[in-house]
Amino acid sequence: MRMLATFEKSERLRHIGHLDIMRAMQRALRRSGLPVSYSKGFNPHILLTFASALSVGAAGEREILEATLDEAVAPEDFVAAMNGALPPEMQLSSARIVDDRRPAAMAMVKAADYRIRVTDASAAETLCAALPGFLAQGEIVTDRKTKSGIKPTDIRPLILSAEMDGDTLRARLTATEAVSCKPGMLMNALSAFAGIEVPRVMVTRERLLGENEDGQLLPLEAV
Amino acid sequence: MSPCNDKIEAMLEKVQKAPRYTGGEMNAVHKDWDSVALHYGFCFPDTYEVGMSHLGMKILYGLVNREPDQVCERFFMPWTDMKALMEEEGIPLFSVESRHALSEFDMIGFTLQYEMSYTNILAMMRLGGVTVLSRERGEREPVVVAGGPCAFNPEPLADFIDAFMIGDGEEVTLLVTAAVRDWKKSGAPRSELLKTLARIEGVYVPALYDVACDDAGRILSVTPNCPEAPARVKKCVVTDLNTAYYPRSFPVPYTEVVFDRIMLEIMRGCTRGCRFCQAGMLYRPVRERSLETLRSLAKDLERATGYEEMSLSSLSSGDYTCLPELIRALMKDLEKERVSISLPSLRIDSVLKESLEETQKMRKTSLTFAPEAGTQRLRDVINKGVTEQDLMEKVTDAFSCGWNAVKLYFMIGLPTETYEDLDGIVDLARKVVGCYFAVPKDKRARGLRVTVSASSFVPKPVTPFQWYGQDTQESLKAKQQYLKEKFRSVKGVNFNYHTPELSYLEACFSRGDRRLGRVLLAAVDRGCILDGWSDLFSFETWMQAFADAGLDPDSFAYREFGRDEIMPWEHIDSGIDRSFLLREYDRAQEARVTRDCRLGCNGCGLQKWKGVCGYANAGHV
Ligand code: SF4
Repeated sequence: MRMLATFEKSERLRHIGHLDIMRAMQRALRRSGLPVSYSKGFNPHILLTFASALSVGAAGEREILEATLDEAVAPEDFVAAMNGALPPEMQLSSARIVDDRRPAAMAMVKAADYRIRVTDASAAETLCAALPGFLAQGEIVTDRKTKSGIKPTDIRPLILSAEMDGDTLRARLTATEAVSCKPGMLMNALSAFAGIEVPRVMVTRERLLGENEDGQLLPLEAV
Repeated sequence: MSPCNDKIEAMLEKVQKAPRYTGGEMNAVHKDWDSVALHYGFCFPDTYEVGMSHLGMKILYGLVNREPDQVCERFFMPWTDMKALMEEEGIPLFSVESRHALSEFDMIGFTLQYEMSYTNILAMMRLGGVTVLSRERGEREPVVVAGGPCAFNPEPLADFIDAFMIGDGEEVTLLVTAAVRDWKKSGAPRSELLKTLARIEGVYVPALYDVACDDAGRILSVTPNCPEAPARVKKCVVTDLNTAYYPRSFPVPYTEVVFDRIMLEIMRGCTRGCRFCQAGMLYRPVRERSLETLRSLAKDLERATGYEEMSLSSLSSGDYTCLPELIRALMKDLEKERVSISLPSLRIDSVLKESLEETQKMRKTSLTFAPEAGTQRLRDVINKGVTEQDLMEKVTDAFSCGWNAVKLYFMIGLPTETYEDLDGIVDLARKVVGCYFAVPKDKRARGLRVTVSASSFVPKPVTPFQWYGQDTQESLKAKQQYLKEKFRSVKGVNFNYHTPELSYLEACFSRGDRRLGRVLLAAVDRGCILDGWSDLFSFETWMQAFADAGLDPDSFAYREFGRDEIMPWEHIDSGIDRSFLLREYDRAQEARVTRDCRLGCNGCGLQKWKGVCGYANAGHV
C-alpha cells in the first residue's frame, strides 16, 4: 500500500541536507512501529521517496513523501504514529492512500510556491521596486548549475508568478524533474537587475504543486 | 531562543557543517527555561561529531533530564570558522537546545576524555563568557565541574575547574546538581558551595588543597586546607549496572557522526591487567549488565532511535560471560527491525569463533586485533596475555568466515622495547598475510587488506608504567622509519603511524601537575585549539606556549618518577594500590605475566573496599 503524506521541515532544520532529512524520515518510519516495506536484496532499505529535494538553507511547510507499507493503515493512524516518532521540527500534517498505479509523486511535481524573506530592509525595498520591470522582460538569462556544469538559462518562462509585499517575495516557480527554477536563481537574476548584491534571504517552500486533468495547478497532495 | 537569533542565523549560513549547531534532533530534550531550578550545560570539548558519538554524554544527558526540576543542554567546541564569526559578532557560545549562553547556566560540566582537548575547555569557557580561572570566577558565575578518565590526574586543570567528579558519574552527578541547585536557592557564598561539594564522596575541589613542591617540581605534599576536604578523594563506583541509570533514548543526529549507532554498554571494567592500559585500571572492577537488562535496553533504544546498527561496547566485549547467548538473543529480538550488530574492540583471545559465526550473518566490517607488541617477550612485559598462536587461529577463523580486512594495532616505545620487538611486528603482519593465503581460495573473500597501525606509547597515571618516562621523539621517529622501510617489502599490508608529537604532548599532560595550567593558558592564547585535528595541530606553537610558561616539556614527558615519589595525582584514590602497581612494575621488568584476575584476585587494592569487586573473593593473592 502506498501512503502519500505532507510534512514540515522547520526553519531550525533548514541547514540539514536532503539525504539527511531522508534518513531521519526512514528512522522515524522504523521507530513508528508501522508495517513499513523494505526493498529486497542484500542490503534492504525502507521504501520511501520524497517528491522533491529541498535545498540546504530552505525550510519547507508541506513537503511530500511517499512510503510503502506491507499492511493497510488508515491515513490518520499513519500521521499519528509518525508524529509520535518525529521531532517537533519534522511533523506530518496530512496523509492519504494513493493508488499503486499512480505515477510517483516525484514525476508529478510541476511547480512550487516559495516565500522568500529578504532580511535587509533597504535591499527589500530596492527589490520590491525593481520587480515589475524585472518581470516585464521577455527573457531573463541567469546561470543554472547542472550536472555538466554551469549553464546560462532563460528563467523567465519558469517564473509562473512573483509578487512582493514588504520584505517578502512570493514566487511560483517551475519545478519538474526535467527543468526547474530554484529561488536562488531568481534572487541572483533579480538582484543583478536591481543592481544590488544578492541579499541574505530566508527561503520557505510553502507547497509543491501538481496538475489536474484540466491542466490546473493544485497542491500535489490534492491531485 | 535568545535575542541574538538573527545574528546566529546569518552566521550559520556562512559556516561549514551548520547542522553541528542547529539541534532539533529526535529525542533532544527541550524544557521551559524558567520552570526548572537548575540549568546544567554539558560540554564536550570537541566537535559535535565527536561529542555526539560519546556514550558518557548520552548517559549524563538522560540522567539529568530525567530530573523534573533540572535541565541538561549540550555544548560542543565550534569549528574555527564558527568560532571566528562568533568572536567577530560578539555571540557567546550557546547551547544546542535553547541557544542560551554558557554563562547563563548554573553549572557546566566538561568531560575529560583525552588530554589534547584541554585547551578546548578553556576556549569554550572564554567563548561562553565564563571566567577561565576558578579563583577569579564571580560569585554567581556557573559552577564548573569535570569528570571522565582524565580526571584521575586532575592537576593540569586544577586552576580552571571548581570541582572534579572522580569515577562513575551516574550517582555523583545528581548529588552535585542537587547541591548546586540548593546553594543557588540559599544565596550562600561560592566558597560555601565548594566546601559542600568537597564533602560529597568522589568530588575533588582543587582549591581546597595546597600543593608543596621543590624547585624541580617534585611534589612534597598535597594537603587539604579546610576540614571539609578529605585527604584522599575516593573514586565513585557504581556496583550494580543493572540498577544503575542507562538511557532508553538519546538524541539522534541528522548528520553522520563518528559513531552513528546505538551503543549498548554490556559491561564496565576489565580484568586483564594490561600494564600500559589506564582504562583497564580506572574502570575496575568488572561489572556486567545482565542479559535481561541488555535485551530490554536494546529493544527500547531501537524503538526510541530507529538506528539500523548497534554496537556492544566495553573495554573487552569478548570477556562478557555469555557473549554468544547475548548476540543470539539480540539478533533474534531485533530481527524484524533489521538491526545489524557489530562487536568493536574484540580481543584476540575472546570467544571469538562462535561470535564470528553469529556476526557473519550481519555486515562484515573490518576486524580489529590488538597484539600491541611484536614479540612474546614484550607482550609478557606489558601483560598482554596473547600468543602468536592465538592470533593466527583467530585471523584464520576470520578469513575462513569470509572476512578480508584485518586491522592490527601495535604500540612502539614501550618500556624495555628493542629493535627485535619491532621486527616482531613485521613478522606478525607477514604471518597474518600467510594465514589468509593458507585458506583455500574458494573459502576466502577476495582482496586482502591488512592494516598495521603503530601508535606511540604514552605513560599514564594509575598504571604500572606510570613511573616510566616516554621514549624520546627522536627514538620514536627512528623506529617509525625503520618499520616503514621494513613494511615496504610486505605485500598486502598497509602501515600507518602518526608523528609522535601529539603523543609527546599527551605525555606531558597525562602525568603533569598544576604548573601546566600556565601552559594551557598560554597555548589557548596562542590559538592552540582542536588539536586532535591534525590540520589544526601546531607543535611549534605548543613549544612556544611551554616557553611562555617557563617550563620545559621534556621534564614532563620524559620524566622518570622515583619509586617513593609522591605522584601529582596521589590524593586521588582510584582504589588501585601503589604497592600493586609497583609489584606489576617489577614483574614487567622480569617479563613475568600476571593472570587475569577473574581466575583469582591479584590484590589490586579494590578488595579492601567491601563489596565493590565481585571477583575479589574468588581467589587469593
Ligand atoms: S580486587 Fe582482585 S579481582 Fe577485583 S579487580 Fe582487583 S585484582 Fe581483580
